[in-house]
Amino acid sequence: MATPKKTAAAQALAEFSDFNLKMARGQQMLQRLKDEDVQIATADKEVVFRQDKVTLYRYKATAKPSLKVPVLVAYGQIGRYTMTDLQEDRSMLRNLLALGVDVYAVDWGNPTRSDRWLAFEDYVDGYLNECVEFICRQHRLSAINLLGICEGGVFSLCYAALYPDRIKNLILTITPVDFHQDQAEGRANHGLLNLWTRGLGADDIDRLIEANGNLPGELMSYVFAQMTPGASLSKYNIGLLDTFDDEKKLLNFLRMEKWIADRPHHPGEAAKQLLVNLYKNNELIRGEFQLAGRTVDLGDIKVPVLNVFAKDDHIIPPKTTQALRAAVGTKDYTEIGLDGGHVGVFVSGKSQGILGKGIHDWLRKRD
Amino acid sequence: MSDAAASTWADSWATSQQALMKLMFAAPAPGESGAKDTEAPMQEQFAELRDAWQESIAKWTELVKQGPQAVSMTPEALRELFTPERWSGVGTGSFDAGLRQVLEGPKYAMLFDLDRKLMALRQLASERDRDVAAFHAILRKAWGSAFERFSSNAASRVVQGPATWRGMADRWLAVLNDTLIEVQRSDAFIEAQRKMLRSASDCRLQEQEIAEAWCVAFHVPTRTEMDEVQRTVTELRRQLRALQRAAAPPPVATHATASSPTKRRATTKSRASARS
Repeated sequence: MATPKKTAAAQALAEFSDFNLKMARGQQMLQRLKDEDVQIATADKEVVFRQDKVTLYRYKATAKPSLKVPVLVAYGQIGRYTMTDLQEDRSMLRNLLALGVDVYAVDWGNPTRSDRWLAFEDYVDGYLNECVEFICRQHRLSAINLLGICEGGVFSLCYAALYPDRIKNLILTITPVDFHQDQAEGRANHGLLNLWTRGLGADDIDRLIEANGNLPGELMSYVFAQMTPGASLSKYNIGLLDTFDDEKKLLNFLRMEKWIADRPHHPGEAAKQLLVNLYKNNELIRGEFQLAGRTVDLGDIKVPVLNVFAKDDHIIPPKTTQALRAAVGTKDYTEIGLDGGHVGVFVSGKSQGILGKGIHDWLRKRD
Repeated sequence: MSDAAASTWADSWATSQQALMKLMFAAPAPGESGAKDTEAPMQEQFAELRDAWQESIAKWTELVKQGPQAVSMTPEALRELFTPERWSGVGTGSFDAGLRQVLEGPKYAMLFDLDRKLMALRQLASERDRDVAAFHAILRKAWGSAFERFSSNAASRVVQGPATWRGMADRWLAVLNDTLIEVQRSDAFIEAQRKMLRSASDCRLQEQEIAEAWCVAFHVPTRTEMDEVQRTVTELRRQLRALQRAAAPPPVATHATASSPTKRRATTKSRASARS
């Protein structure tokens, strides 16, 4: 009969053996995988409009149309739209297409120093407006459905407030509105970005943009990694090791890493507006945010609004986005709170059956 | 100028001065000593004055002989200095040297200025390194606190069954994560992070200033100039598109229809290519 000490030793030996086996299995998988296995944003689409570095895509239908009005998806500048179509079984866009939605998505491109002077108004009055106008012309419509994500949600809010006739329904996902509600729930890991940005002086931000021309994508990657220190520190050891059980899990991991690594620079002037006017001064919810001399009044948004948020979003804490309910000028306001974190809304297995369907069902009632 | 040359010039000058003095204050002839009484005191005065002057001249002459380095101009050198050729055209004389100094002054000034810029960069780089070190010191301290917490938790924990390495790793990461987030919310961390970011920006801008000094010297557009051009382009593009939008015809139709995707794609593609 084995003594407790021997059991512990045997346990340690078994664990050591499993560890080595897993490492060997992972090595085999990594050797087999090629670049093409780690492609992201592969849903079939075509370029329908270009302006400067901005590209408007239209996705090929995969089901019979169920809505008369198409949806334009607008991501922000911190990260790229490819997250909405990470892989075949984790794709908000494919889920919408499968439900018969006509989907467009705008890609802002990869800004360089030459885009330093682009401001929010260039994105709202310029590029986004051009995309909306283009779709309206193509479909002979006066208004379309606009779906904004994160900072793209802020663009969409500004657009809907300034061009109310062009929006039929407004959908927002993980979108900040009241930038000072980051500690409304008192969760220590929430809203670090808000806290750190408030800790910077406006002149610190000016110097940062002056020195780099843009808000460097690498800096934002560092900031995001720092917001989840435990996960960031263990990602490439324990996290990667966990995926060695299953090639599908490993591929999910690598595709996610590919998206994270593809972080564009944020055009300088627009970055100043984001960090100073919005994060520091909280001008959007105060009704003081100005674009090209016009004030963005959220009360001017009279169209139906669907606001989707993540219950454990450490980047856009729920209360920062739920503040929208009291600010918009419509009574047709709906919220969907999903389990999980900021990006999990789009890429987690659990949300796949909820997000796309939730958006589709809501739109169908207002088509 | 050589000692010999100086001596020649000094002798020549002393001789000429002595000749002048002799002419002006010639000594009375022996037969003239019984002059009028009324003139005697005046003559004595002049004689004293002459002697004093001659003595002075002799001392100066001696001084000139003793210090050939003090006066370096020979008559030849003076003659050359005032030769008209020396005042016109390009040459290597002292005037040209002065002119060159005026012309090339800015370059020397810039070189000196570049030294100052480099010194400023060294100082800013040092400040940045100091701020980075201060930032990391806060994080290191946080890691220390996390380890203390983890150790005390592990010691007080009633372990159910054998601890696996993975279980230990997960517990350590949870403690570390909580501790780091706690520290990252502190005023000290926020200020350290702000300072690090600021000094990195200042350092980078100083590098830019040095690079721009080089660009100016070698006729290359500077970063600042390129930024100004880009700003102009952005503003012009903004104005142009605003004018295009204002001039565009109003939307033709306002109804919602869902035509077949294939048909729609063909239409959009052709319009897209037309606009691109």
